[in-house]
Formats: sequence, C-alpha cells, structure tokens
Amino acid sequence: MRRTQGAAYLFLSPWIIGATLLTVGPMLASLYLSLTDYDLFDPPKWLGLDNYRVMFTEDDRFWAAVGTTARYVLFSVPLKLVLALAVALLLNRPRRGSGLYRSAFYAPSLLGASVSLALVWRAMFASGGTVDRVLAAVGITTGGWVDQPQYALLALVALAAWQFGAPMVIFLAGLKQIPRELYEAAAIDGAGPLRRLVSVTLPMLSPVILFNLVLETIHAFQAFTGAFVVSSGRGGPSDSTLLYTLYLYQRGFTDFRMGYASAMAWVLLVVVAGVTLLLFRGARGLVFYAGEDR
Amino acid sequence: MLERLSRGCVRAVVAATVVAAAATTLTACGGESGGPTTLRFVWWGNEDRATATKAAVAQFEKLHPDIKVETEYSGYDAYFQKLSTQVAGGAGPDLMQLDRATIGEYEHRHVLADLAGMSLHLDKIDANLLAGGKVDGGQYAVPAGQTTQMLVLDPAKFTAAGVTVPTAKGQSWTWAQFTDAITKVGATGVAGTTDFGWAIDWFEVWLHQHGKSLYTAGKLGFDANDLQTFWTLTGSLRDRKGVTPATATTKMDGSTQNSALVGKQSASEINYDSSLTGYLSSYGAQLAAAPLPSDGKDTGMAAMPPVSFAVSQRSSHKDAAAKLLDFLVNDPDAGKILGATRGLPPNQDIRTQVCGAATGANKAVCDYEAAQRDKVGPAFGAWPTGSSAIKRDFQRTYDDVIFGRISASDGAKRVVQNAQNSLS
Repeated sequence: MRRTQGAAYLFLSPWIIGATLLTVGPMLASLYLSLTDYDLFDPPKWLGLDNYRVMFTEDDRFWAAVGTTARYVLFSVPLKLVLALAVALLLNRPRRGSGLYRSAFYAPSLLGASVSLALVWRAMFASGGTVDRVLAAVGITTGGWVDQPQYALLALVALAAWQFGAPMVIFLAGLKQIPRELYEAAAIDGAGPLRRLVSVTLPMLSPVILFNLVLETIHAFQAFTGAFVVSSGRGGPSDSTLLYTLYLYQRGFTDFRMGYASAMAWVLLVVVAGVTLLLFRGARGLVFYAGEDR
Repeated sequence: MLERLSRGCVRAVVAATVVAAAATTLTACGGESGGPTTLRFVWWGNEDRATATKAAVAQFEKLHPDIKVETEYSGYDAYFQKLSTQVAGGAGPDLMQLDRATIGEYEHRHVLADLAGMSLHLDKIDANLLAGGKVDGGQYAVPAGQTTQMLVLDPAKFTAAGVTVPTAKGQSWTWAQFTDAITKVGATGVAGTTDFGWAIDWFEVWLHQHGKSLYTAGKLGFDANDLQTFWTLTGSLRDRKGVTPATATTKMDGSTQNSALVGKQSASEINYDSSLTGYLSSYGAQLAAAPLPSDGKDTGMAAMPPVSFAVSQRSSHKDAAAKLLDFLVNDPDAGKILGATRGLPPNQDIRTQVCGAATGANKAVCDYEAAQRDKVGPAFGAWPTGSSAIKRDFQRTYDDVIFGRISASDGAKRVVQNAQNSLS
C-alpha cells in the first residue's frame, strides 16, 4: 500500500509542483500584497486592512463596479442557460445533420474569449453597425449600443449569451443519460411533451443544471475580455461596462495600485465562494440525484 | 464526469474552478528580450506616424548593422495599458514615447534613465521644449517635436453654412464668432465641432486664456467653478447642436481612428497639429487648420512637445537606445522621413530643412505653425506626478456629465476633489 502511494505522488508531482509554484504561491503573495500599498516598482508598504476599508467605505467606483457586475451576472447567466438548454433539447432529437448543428452551435464558445471576436462585436453594436441598421430597418432606432450607457452592458450580455455552446454540450450529455423508459412510461400515462419536459426531463437533468448554473455564474463574475475590448479598457461609456475585473485591472495596472487590486481579487474570491455556497444551499431539495435514497 | 453527476463530483469540480480562477486573475505577463543588441522601441499614434517611424528605423538599422530594432505601436489607451504592464513585469521596451502626463510619473517610479552623460546632441533643440523633459533637475526625456493646438476643419462644411473661417496667416476669431460659426454649421445637420470638453488639454488652453493654469508648482491651479464654467459652455453648445452628441464624444481619444471629424459626425475638431498629418491622410487633403478662438491677448495656445522619447532605466542597451534617440531627433535623413508626424522636428536646423522642402501634409503643419508663431506662448511646462490619473478622471467624469448622470457642477467638484487626492 505504501509503495503504490509513493508512486501516486510521483505521478502527481508535476501537478503538485505546478499548483504550488503557480497557484498557491501567487495566491499567498497576493494575500500579503492586499494588506500593503504596492505600486509595482517600490517595495510594498504595510497598510493592514486599509485597502479593504477604503474599498468598502470611500470608493464609489468600486460599488458601481459591483452593481454593474451583479447586473451582468443576473442577466447573462439565466439567458445563456435557457438558450443552451433550449438548443440542447432541439438537438437531442435524432435527425440528419445533428452533428453539424452541434458543432456549429459550439463554435462561438471556442472563439468566445478571443479578442478578435470582441472587436467584431464592438463593430456590430457600434452606431451604424449591423445591429443598429437591422433594428432601424424594422423601425427600432437605438443607435449604437456600445456608445450608450443604457445599452452597452446589454451588448456584453448578448456576447456572453451567444457563447452558450459549452453548457449546451453538457446539457446534451445529460439528456442522453435520461433513461428512455421514463419517457415511455410517461407517454403511456398520457403525458404530453410539456408535461414530459417538466416532470421527467427537468428533474432528471437537475444536477446538470446546477452544475452549469454554478460554473456559468463563476465565469460571469470573472468576465473581462469582452468588457475590456469593447470599451478599449476604459469601462465606458460612463462606466456602464466597468465590470469588477476590469476595475481591478485598472487599479492594478493603470493606476499602479497593485495592493488595492489584490484586495479586490480577494473580495471577489470570497464573494464567488459565498455565492457558490448559496447556490448549493438553495438547490437542496430541488436537485434530484439518481441513485440516492429520497 | 458526465456519467451521473454525483453531489461530491460537482462540488470538487466547482472548488477547483474557483481556486484556479482566482489565481489566473492576478497572473502577470512576462517576457524575454532577444540577442545582445536588439532594441525595442514603442510609441502610440496614427498610421502615418507608424509608417514614417518604421521607415526611419529601417534607415537606422542600415547605418548600424549591429543593432536590430523591434517596433510596436498602438492607440493611446492601449499603449499605456500595455507599457505599464510590461514595465512592471520587467519586460519594458528600451526606448519609449511618453507625454506630459506620464514623464513625471515614470521618472518618479524610477523607470527612466537620466540622459546626462549619454552621447546625445541636444544643443540644437529649443530650450523651452527641452524643459518639458526635465524632471527633478535631470533630463529624462527628449522632445520628439514641437506642436501647438489647432482647430482642424473641413472648409466646405463651414462655407455651406455661410461662415468664413480664419485659416489665413494673421487671422483669428473670438469665442462669440466661433460659437456662432459652429452653431450655424450645426443647423446644417452635422455638429459644428467635436465636443471639446472631453480633454483636460483643451481646458488647459481655456484656463490660460483666463489667466490661470492647470498646475502651479505641483498644485492644482484651478477650482471647481472654473471647470463648471467650461463645461457649462460646452453643454450649451451641445444643446444647440454646435458640438457633437454624447455618443460621439465618449469615443474620443485624440486618434484619427476614433475621431468624430473623421467619422463625419462633426465639421471640425480641436487637436494638436502633430496629428494634422494623420487627419489629412485619413480624411482628405481638403482639411484646413485654424487657431483656437480667444477673446483676450493671450490665445492660450503654446508651442510644446507633442510627445517625448525616453530611455528605460532597466534597459541593458542604453547606449544603443540613446543612439537611436539621437538619430530620430538629429539625423537629417531621419528628419526627412519623419517629416511632421510628431509636429515640427525638434532640431532647429532640421526643422528649417524639412519645412523648406515640405510638400503635402508636412507643408500644412509647417504653414500652420508659421502662421501662428506670433500668437503662441512658450510651453506650459511638465505636468506633476498624478496628472495621468487626473487626465483619465477628467474624461471619465465628462462622460457622466454628457450622458446626464451628473450635473456639470457636481462633476467639476468631483474632478477637483479627485485631482487633489491624486496630487497629494
């Protein structure tokens, strides 16, 4: 037994070394920096909890960024999941060319985090861009979304929702796992398609839904690239796309306040962990795990 | 993982994701430089500046086969985001372009090398310009040119509105004439000028016209009332379509790429004449330059370095970098290639040569500078540390003002308060 353990650690060592040097080490360093005034050039000066105090009590932009991020998460995650589930349900039926459709719908997720795509998005939602003109053609004049504070975040939400491929694939895999007998039994009992969706598919799929919900929520809290590219790193217009991570970046790398940025990163970690915990708590009793006694 | 998702499995995956994600948030970028004499030279600017600078660098490489120069350029915002990240990570360039807002800041962070003792010839450069590169008594940057403020405009759009523009030598206009002109143009369907409330640089000119300045002895030289007056002026012009709407103004960053004039949303725009070559190449040769409006004797316009070159303190090839800097500023061939893409050449001899033989866009810059020579004051002087944060906050707050999220008066108060924090 001992021997195999040694071998196990040997095989794990690349990961252990990597995780220690590249993850745990920097994390501890950032925890220390969050308690200092560090401008990246001169040695850090100890501040204690001052960064956190200023953040919570004096920094208006911090709270604005929190609000913007909350709106972004609340809009983008449900929209993305509903889209992913709807498309997964459509693609789950055996039909010709479904493999092609699956790839096509997954493609945006592969490209999604790229800068070039965010640039395309900016052009599409600019005034006189594709979206503006198409909407104008049907009588809706909004102007360029990315130039107006009331619409700019929506463009980012749309960009996120459009990348529903990853949760869709997970939904598809989950749908394949649902035993056919359940549908047959339900059909014999006279359940229509809607009834089968609500009473068979959704309960059987609930662990996958929770999984996707948690994962997408975490991703949404960390969204950066889209906001950065669409607003040229400014978070504008009028701070309407200043997501938390973008403000963190600005504090660290534009204002040279790396201690403050580190503190923000730790607050984000705690909040994301807390939200995740709440999701698990809230899901208790709503999620059905096959094979468990109920 | 997808066989049957057990509760434990979901939790494990999620926990791993949370940790990994938190770690990547703060992972910085690194980089290594190549052989013993490979220099990195970076700047921001329009396409025409990039083309000319790359050609000048190629000429330098021909003269110095032992030195290879890698170049990078981008827009203003992206440039400083990238530069600060690289410098902080110890992967900064050897020769960089800075402006008034950043020279002091980078010097205070010990990023810049003192140029004293390096083989540089600065005797042909105007002392007023050179002063812009002096911080704490040391010469840390060399001006890359001389520029002054201008109103670049499309004469046809003003003529169509029945307005004559003072573009000839010796002509000028008052604020009343100017606002009248741009509101008349505004009535024809295109804004008379790009809203000039966005940049602290144009506010600086306005302040000088009123006997004040942005900074005096490292302190703020204006108060909230001054800024409120300025922003109330631009606000009333916006109401009358004299200046561009908020959606166009919010994109402004001084580049031709995001320019409302180039985007045909306005008939004119305030900028430094070091960008005139960029405007002419992206808009068309029909553009002309006029002085900024002024009521008193002091036009508020100044002859100043548009940008400056500085050598990195951490560069391992400071001598080679200084050689390149010297070449860009003092070499007649370099002067010919660069033309007026960073304003007039800083070296007086080369300026005479370049302007004497200038054609096209370069000639337009030389002519405008010659026409304004009597009305232009000496450089305003370097900006103190913290001024780049103030410059950003100024524009960000103006965004809030033009989108109606905050009043001009509250916005002005916020800028002044934040500025005082940034300077202390």
